[in-house]
Amino acid sequence: MKRVIALLLFCSITTVSFADNDWSDKLQIHGFASQAFVYTTDNNFYGKSDSGSVAFTELGINGSFQLSPRLRLAGQVLSRHAGAFDHGSPRIDYALIDTNLISTSKGRVGVYLGRIKNPIGLYNETRDVAHTRQGILNAQTIYFDKVRELVMSSDGIHLYGEYFLPNGSLLIQTGMGYPLPNKNVEYAYMGKDWAGNISGDELGIFGRLIYEHDGGRWIYSLTGTRMTLDFNHGVKDAIPFPAGAGLSSGDIDIDYTVLSAQYNGEKWQFTTEVAFEHTSYNDIGAAFDSSGFDSLGYYGQLDYKFTPQWQAFIRYEEFQLNIDDWNGKKAAKKNIATSQFLADFGIQQTPSPAYANYAKIWAIGGHWDIQNDLKFRAEYQIAEGLATLSPRENDLNLGDKYWNMFAISLSYRF
Amino acid sequence: MNKYCLLIFCLLLAPISHAQVLIVNPDNIDTDLSLNTVRSIFAMRTHQWSDGSPIHVFVLEDNDNLHSDFCKEILKVFPYQLRRLWDKQIFSGTGVAPTTVKSIEEMRERVANTKGAIGYIRKEQLTDTIKQIGMPL
Repeated sequence: MKRVIALLLFCSITTVSFADNDWSDKLQIHGFASQAFVYTTDNNFYGKSDSGSVAFTELGINGSFQLSPRLRLAGQVLSRHAGAFDHGSPRIDYALIDTNLISTSKGRVGVYLGRIKNPIGLYNETRDVAHTRQGILNAQTIYFDKVRELVMSSDGIHLYGEYFLPNGSLLIQTGMGYPLPNKNVEYAYMGKDWAGNISGDELGIFGRLIYEHDGGRWIYSLTGTRMTLDFNHGVKDAIPFPAGAGLSSGDIDIDYTVLSAQYNGEKWQFTTEVAFEHTSYNDIGAAFDSSGFDSLGYYGQLDYKFTPQWQAFIRYEEFQLNIDDWNGKKAAKKNIATSQFLADFGIQQTPSPAYANYAKIWAIGGHWDIQNDLKFRAEYQIAEGLATLSPRENDLNLGDKYWNMFAISLSYRF
Repeated sequence: MNKYCLLIFCLLLAPISHAQVLIVNPDNIDTDLSLNTVRSIFAMRTHQWSDGSPIHVFVLEDNDNLHSDFCKEILKVFPYQLRRLWDKQIFSGTGVAPTTVKSIEEMRERVANTKGAIGYIRKEQLTDTIKQIGMPL
């Protein structure tokens, strides 16, 4: 990242001297601030939510500077407080140079270089900006906050093209970059914080194809990523069984593809997205499935606008960790056998239940735009299963199968 | 009888005659734009006029009636769709938002005085400081 920043600085120094004096036209500053209150009947989501949590705060500020007609710099700093996931330390969310290579009335082609938001699904790029979300939370069965850092942004280069057709637009983006996984990703993919670390030392690839028909009345999108995470074991992790877990260094391959469709009417809006994920663990150890498995997440959401300011929605979402083991029954049996096996060695481990392998959620909610830049939201979710929860905030072996969530938020943007 | 003829004539014309018009800076050379070009200009995706000079887009606030009418009747999209496109661009670093003006007077003044400017106004609010351009029907 240091190299990217150095490059950005170099470009800004060398090019600003050619620019006009009219900075105000070339510089745009925007930002957002959002605070939510989350209460869950059982289990934890963003802090100790079973007794009510305000540990969900998002602050961001960004700037875009047009250096020349073909060259633009953009960057955003983000501070996020989100339960056990994030404690508010500011981070560079994106910092890029946008070079426009071709621009005509028929379309444009360009390159982003730097830290780039990954185009996954319809909402990933702006998932931290409350105003752009579909509710207080995006559908967690696709936009898992527990692995947010895995898909959020990456350091690399993307090529983009936009083609303006007679009654629609085709948007293409493809690129590669180093993912930025952190401890949250380790918890989500490896169950706990190991002595070793997960790192993103291998280039991931990203792609997006969107067709917007009739000015965006209908939007169809195919997005995806393929990435490999490296796990470097710590000394403690390598202690052989039964005294330790006997892990070795290896990697995790992840393929993630999202299909999306959306209808945008004056009163009604309908959105559906389906995500296919293939995960395989290589050389890490017997506890991690090297043959790989396929997961499926999807949702359908119907929004109704009573007025442009008042809006309500209903959504059903579901996630299945292993499509060959719907509702996790086989996994539960295996976990009971594993616990019995471990008990022979004097290791007590509560078997993880079947419902840790899926999530089925009904969500209803609404918002009121108090002003153009100020939004109040309220939402209620009825959930079965634990797959959207993180082991960083819950002991998933002991989690409650049925749980509900109530949340409100107030969000400002400029 | 003539009055009735005139009334019928006006009624026939009414469905294809918009109350809102596109306006540009008087120096602009592009005078006829297709619907999709105007849409991509207001979506902040088309950044240059045909001569390569930068486009500067002016809009009224999201909840302004004229903005809403312009979106629905000229662009044939809803204001929330444009807002979502702009937000997606400004909060992901992939683009910028148009300049928001507070009033029709400011719209007229900024378009008249900004090179490469485009905006909109109600037909009866036209003055000779700005130029009306071809309307996509």
